[in-house]
Amino acid sequence: MLVSLDPRDARPLYLQIMDEVRRAIVVGSLRPEDPLPSVRELASELVVNPRTVSQAYNELEREGVLYVRRGQGTFVSPGARSGDDERRALGRAVAKRALLEARRNGVGAEELMRIMGEVAAEEEGELAPAVSAPDHGEEG
Amino acid sequence: MSGSMQTGPEGGWAVATHGLRKRYGAQTALDGVDLRVPEGAVYVLIGANGAGKSTTLKVLMNLERPDVGTAAILGLDTAAQGPRARAQTGYVPERHDAGNGWMTGAQLLRHAAAYYPSWEHAYAERLARAFELPLGRRAGGLSKGEVRRLQLVLALAHRPPVLLLDEPTDGLDPLARNRTLSLLAEHLADSPATVVISTHHVHEVESLADHVGVLRQGRLAAQMPRDELQRTVLRYRVQLPEGWRAPADLQAAGAVRTRPGREVQWTLVGDRRELAERIAQAGAQLREVTPLTLEDAALAFLPDEVSR
Repeated sequence: MLVSLDPRDARPLYLQIMDEVRRAIVVGSLRPEDPLPSVRELASELVVNPRTVSQAYNELEREGVLYVRRGQGTFVSPGARSGDDERRALGRAVAKRALLEARRNGVGAEELMRIMGEVAAEEEGELAPAVSAPDHGEEG
Repeated sequence: MSGSMQTGPEGGWAVATHGLRKRYGAQTALDGVDLRVPEGAVYVLIGANGAGKSTTLKVLMNLERPDVGTAAILGLDTAAQGPRARAQTGYVPERHDAGNGWMTGAQLLRHAAAYYPSWEHAYAERLARAFELPLGRRAGGLSKGEVRRLQLVLALAHRPPVLLLDEPTDGLDPLARNRTLSLLAEHLADSPATVVISTHHVHEVESLADHVGVLRQGRLAAQMPRDELQRTVLRYRVQLPEGWRAPADLQAAGAVRTRPGREVQWTLVGDRRELAERIAQAGAQLREVTPLTLEDAALAFLPDEVSR
């Protein structure tokens, strides 16, 4: 699924949809000139008011991330790239969620970072024998 | 009211009630209900059984007369202009009873078509197929879930600008429920409409909602856009000093359970910054503020309900 919503996420739904589209562009599952699902399809898939999807698409169009081809639908703008800024913004959001969750469990920021390092090293150790380099499938 | 509300007939509301009161004997069903549904909204009316949800929808359909108050659909008074208002409305009733149980589903669809000039045969058939409805069977022999889906076809096939759906997912298994709500979203993409959904299973229709009303004992305890609800109802984790007592203003916002000397969790209603200040001023320490799901936020207005 290209876009999914988290019922625990209290941000407005159209913002969540916008973020999901941005995320898809950053990770490369959506590339410039790729078509987006129609408002009808995405509303049906997410079970949301189609107006919420329209609102998200309109905002992304205003930001230049998407553009509309008359009668053909909505597409990813040629200029919409998975730049370092977007990746960094996504990383910051992940960090914030992790910190929040850590504090709730009585773990401080420094301790969390140390543990993250440990866990990452362990996972690398587990993966190393099987694959030497992570394979992301088709490369552009 | 916020300036972002849609304007339309009747002061901007596609569906509205004004001071509805209704008693059944000694029982108060509605106690001054002012429903306000903006055009194009999916408004979810939440409440326990007996809170007045069905009665409110019945008044809108002119199936019940209020003792006091008025109701309007697209600016049409539902009592004085009932037939015109109903012609603009698709309704799924509370009861699982398609009426005329001796008729087959197909006959019921033809019967309904006669009442609505805008009825679309092809669309009714397409919906019935999508819902996997056995149209050849007598309606009286359909399962609860099948009747529900037949009622939805009847409500949607004339593409009305207003939909009043009383527990539309009642009797549907999870798979049929998702399919049904997806079809409703598709319907709205093709035929924009203002929707009022009543339910006591909020999580089932949660993603569709963009406006929320909470009915409690015949009164609207809250009514606001979804985003506002989730912005103003939050969970506060607070450390309390020994012998601490909640000041009146925090009690009014929802802080009731106090176990001094420990950490407590409150679901509070109000401006986040203001409440944080009040907590600090009252000598308690705010540890964390977390958002709630739509259902949990709505349940904050039903303190006497057992929360799942």
